[in-house]
Amino acid sequence: MKTKLAMVIDSSTCIDCKGCMAACKVENKVPAGHWRNWIKRQEAGVNNFKKAAGKTAGHFQPGNCMHCDTPTCVQACPTGATYKDEKDGTVPVNDKLCIGCGSCIPACPYGARYRHPQKKIVDKCDFCEHRRLRGELPACVVTCPTKARVFGDINDPETDAARLVKQNKTLQVVNPESNTEPNIYYLNATAPMDWPVKAKIPTPIQLWGNVAKPLVWALVGINALGVLAMLGKQFILPDDEIQENDQREDNNEQQND
Amino acid sequence: MPLSVDKPISRRSFLKWTGAATAASVTAARAPVLHALVPEKKDGIPAKVENRFSVCDMCLNKCGLIARVEDGVVTKLDPNPKFLKSRSMLCARGNAGIDQLYDPDRLKYPLLRKGKRGEGKWQRLSWDQALDHAAEQLTKIAEKYTRCGVLFTPGSDMQSTFVRWFAEVFGSYNVTTHESSCLLSRNRAYLDTFGEVPFSDILHTKYIIMAGANRFEALITPDSIDLMTAKKNGCKLVVLDPRYTKTAALADEWYAIRPGTDMAFFLALAHVIIGETLYNQAYAAEKLYGMEQLGEHVKQYTPEWAEGECEIPAKEIRRIARELAAAAPAAIVYPGRRTSDYVNSTQIRRAMAIVNGLLGNWDQPGGLLAARKVGLSGPELPDSPFYEDNPDDRADHGRAHMMFDEEGSIKHMRDAIIEQKPYPVKGWFAYKINPLQSVANRNKTLQMIENLDFILTVDITMSDTAWMSDLVLPAPSYLERQDPASGLQGSSACACVVTRDPVVPALFESKPVFWIFKELAKRLELSEYFDFTIEEYRKQQLKDLPDGERALREDGVYYNPSKLYGVYEGQVYKTLSKKIELYNQRYADMGVDPMPVYRAPRRKPSGKFRMVVGRSAYFTHCTSQNNALLHQFMPENTLWINPKAAKRLGIRDGYMVEITSKAGKGILKANLKEGIREDTVYMLSGFGVLSQGLTTIYGKGACMAEILEDYADEISGNMAMHETFVKVTRKGA
Amino acid sequence: MNSKMIKRHSKLSIFLHWFNAASWLFLLATGIGLVKNPDLQPVGMWWTHLMWGLFGSGENLLMAHVIGGIVWAGVFLIYAIVGIKQVSQFLKEIFSYSPIRDFMWLVKKGIQMTLGTRALKKFGGILEKRGASPEIATPRIPDQGFYNVGQKLFAVPSVLGGIVIAVTGIIMALSNVYFTNTAIVRWAILIHFITVGLVFAGLLIHIYMASIAAGERPAFISMFTGSVPEDYARHHHRLWYEDVKEN
Repeated sequence: MKTKLAMVIDSSTCIDCKGCMAACKVENKVPAGHWRNWIKRQEAGVNNFKKAAGKTAGHFQPGNCMHCDTPTCVQACPTGATYKDEKDGTVPVNDKLCIGCGSCIPACPYGARYRHPQKKIVDKCDFCEHRRLRGELPACVVTCPTKARVFGDINDPETDAARLVKQNKTLQVVNPESNTEPNIYYLNATAPMDWPVKAKIPTPIQLWGNVAKPLVWALVGINALGVLAMLGKQFILPDDEIQENDQREDNNEQQND
Repeated sequence: MPLSVDKPISRRSFLKWTGAATAASVTAARAPVLHALVPEKKDGIPAKVENRFSVCDMCLNKCGLIARVEDGVVTKLDPNPKFLKSRSMLCARGNAGIDQLYDPDRLKYPLLRKGKRGEGKWQRLSWDQALDHAAEQLTKIAEKYTRCGVLFTPGSDMQSTFVRWFAEVFGSYNVTTHESSCLLSRNRAYLDTFGEVPFSDILHTKYIIMAGANRFEALITPDSIDLMTAKKNGCKLVVLDPRYTKTAALADEWYAIRPGTDMAFFLALAHVIIGETLYNQAYAAEKLYGMEQLGEHVKQYTPEWAEGECEIPAKEIRRIARELAAAAPAAIVYPGRRTSDYVNSTQIRRAMAIVNGLLGNWDQPGGLLAARKVGLSGPELPDSPFYEDNPDDRADHGRAHMMFDEEGSIKHMRDAIIEQKPYPVKGWFAYKINPLQSVANRNKTLQMIENLDFILTVDITMSDTAWMSDLVLPAPSYLERQDPASGLQGSSACACVVTRDPVVPALFESKPVFWIFKELAKRLELSEYFDFTIEEYRKQQLKDLPDGERALREDGVYYNPSKLYGVYEGQVYKTLSKKIELYNQRYADMGVDPMPVYRAPRRKPSGKFRMVVGRSAYFTHCTSQNNALLHQFMPENTLWINPKAAKRLGIRDGYMVEITSKAGKGILKANLKEGIREDTVYMLSGFGVLSQGLTTIYGKGACMAEILEDYADEISGNMAMHETFVKVTRKGA
Repeated sequence: MNSKMIKRHSKLSIFLHWFNAASWLFLLATGIGLVKNPDLQPVGMWWTHLMWGLFGSGENLLMAHVIGGIVWAGVFLIYAIVGIKQVSQFLKEIFSYSPIRDFMWLVKKGIQMTLGTRALKKFGGILEKRGASPEIATPRIPDQGFYNVGQKLFAVPSVLGGIVIAVTGIIMALSNVYFTNTAIVRWAILIHFITVGLVFAGLLIHIYMASIAAGERPAFISMFTGSVPEDYARHHHRLWYEDVKEN
């Protein structure tokens, strides 16, 4: 079965120490003011402190690019610089093919992408590809004090990640209008759940697919049809008439000059 | 006009324009697409990569790490997978160690003050000049005011042992550390109950009460990590804190206890445990001293009475007492660490220690553990010299009932220096410590500074204390250092030895404090006392651990598989009665309450707030706020204030507010939080700096040390930092 | 029909025309190949895969396209500066119209090409009956200059479109060098696509009219030799012919 790299997170053990965010920042040289990963928080106030079954009143939810199965970011990309890699299930960014148009950024319901201020192309979590090539786990996974993050091939039943998914109830955090089938699985329960936004494919890209493409097709089609009709007329129906007529006119004129 | 005849373009003009076009496209070649045309180094793969061991120094935990060094540059710090004490982790601060190493604000060379203290005018000196000057100043003070005329304050560091040694051979008794702003109340209380300061076996405990300790933010290894594991395994966590910390957020139960009333709660617990005989009577008979007296004493401390004091419902107190006792001996009243809160903190902690005693959890799985044997040997050092003209005692002697001799009290020491009683102290050697930010009442510290003739600070950045010094010497970061071996207590995780060797060579002209002392010793005719290298010192330390060197070299850590439970089998407790003292005889003899007697905290004046102190996982006390990475998590401190209280003062979230106390004032942003009592406010330390050498945070936030008034625990002399009442006024939108 | 030849296009003009044609086709092929999004790909993903395969990778294809674009735009930019005289003459020519005469040319030429010369004569008759002036009513197709209005009506969008395509192309090429506002880049991509599409639509007609349509053979040959027969010139571009004859 094909490799499917994913992250399984027990957010109930997250203490919001920001270790994963710091590790990622250092490992991937993420510029100041931007982050490749995050910790969302749900806090209860003094008055509504209550322990819900399976959940504590306060909850911290680590996350990052979810390397979705039906990614809307890929849908927005004109050049295919970002794509779903069938080999390992990740959604990489080919930084030599990215032209920095930023269409993918609002197209992510999780806000996982940002435009790198120096490189001026898009940047996001790549599950620490360079670490994986060295045989190491992603930086965020390794650094976590409570080992809230588990990473691995969920299609390989021997991995911890696959086992956790099999043996536990898991849930994904999605926006119901943009369920991109994310590959971060939260164990048992997590909060907050309602923060991903509807994916927004930028207007120019939408116009391109919905308006410009059919419009150009129509115009080209009409012109092509016209040309074909004329070609047909020219070769199927003989019309030496024009040339003869021209010739006659020329002769007339010459005579008149 | 004939269009057909074109004037041919001259070759010269064509080439001229082609040149311009080429120039344009070369500029555009910065674009990666075109950049690929330009042959360059293959995609940033470094030529030389090395992995080196060290232990983190961003806080006191010393988590083992592996540094990745690419072409001589440290690019990442990863946890040492074999490091049990940290359960193989590296927190945000640990990862930010690289930004300490490459901090643009790092001190580079020795600096001598020009102009007035605090003006920030410096003159660069060579090391020889600096050391000559220091030796000269120290000698001058020694001659005029005796050797005890110099105060030494070592920070929490693996080379601080050399500061103590130097102070000893130099001849000064006046050594104090941050401990007297921190844990001395706890230490005093537990020493006076159990005869030793315990570690908690959190991993195996089934019930734990944390009063004030914010373990999910104030990270201690393995406690913070094991707490989460224990919770997953069904351990119940009860948190008492006036503030809804992350620990409170993740607890099973949280009570916003009225600040300073913890003793009432724990005395009431004792009342229930004894009253309902929820303790192991055989154990009590054998191991506890003073059961009768205690039983009598706590009769008055009913849960109903306690509710009136601490605002926790009586029925919850009863229930918690029963649940706690039922889980015993795998039940803990967490001793905590920073206990520098109230003038009776030692007694408060005594009450908590007493409940632990009743739970019978000493030396048991899930209970309080004795220190484990690590196995380091003391190094063979020559006898230190005796100085005839020295006074009898430390300058802060006698100002509290039972101060720790080797720690004293920084509050009392400061008072002594200002008063110049019992004798003048005129010099100050500060190593890796920042009292101007860490010690309550900054203005008093500034006053102390005025009384000093010579201040020398060894540090890595221009902290506030360095900023106010006369001579500033640059130290290397931990990644550049070779350190002696150090033993760590990891409770049920391990007992281990760590050390450091340089990951990269020292940057700029930074020198470790050990070298500084060697050089000073030369100039002060004390060379014989520093006649060794760190390697030799370490060898001596490891002499009884034959596998020590190999383990440190190959694994980055050495483990001593020493006894974990039952250490006290067949042993007596190091107390007068040789048992666990619920009733402390020595206190009685000294005129101190032998059992904690409840005293309500000082009344809060109406319209004011009590300021409480707490930690964040992003910073270590008042260091690392200026760290380029950590700064991104919190660019400034804010004042936590309850929305109801804020509304009454016309304060909205984000408004600037001014807080004033008798000690000083500060201006910072208001942060409205439901999770704090209406009578309490909170702010993080380390901001509102004086030093312009901390370029990232200078001008940001307010200084907590400026606002805190300096009270001291009556018994230990530990700072009492929760006794300050502040006024909060709106400054602007 | 024996005629003297008359010079119509300089060697440079010829070079530029074919250079433009070749560049355009190359850029069209590679550009469409760069659209690796099924929603946006106008021709079909097979073309993208073909182009990726031909060039080895998407990055190579992108590089080829950008270099091609820079060379194409660069040559014309240089020409616009160096040959400013010829260029302004050309621009003047294609932007000047006599509305009525040119409109009638379009109508009559259109009728002639589709319905034949007889129909044209009939049309002229109808106009005469309706009271149109003799110049309009005549079945004779109105005179034209160096370029007939049909050629002008393709030249204009070609030039303007080319500028828009070049500018939007440069915006895209420099988007990861200078721009912080990516909205400009996104709109540039869309406008680039639409403009290419529009010009391509016109290109189909241009190719037919210029090379295949009846009677255009001499014009087509002149794009290689540079000359047209005088008779042809006199008939199709009388105003230009007369201008040349005067000098």
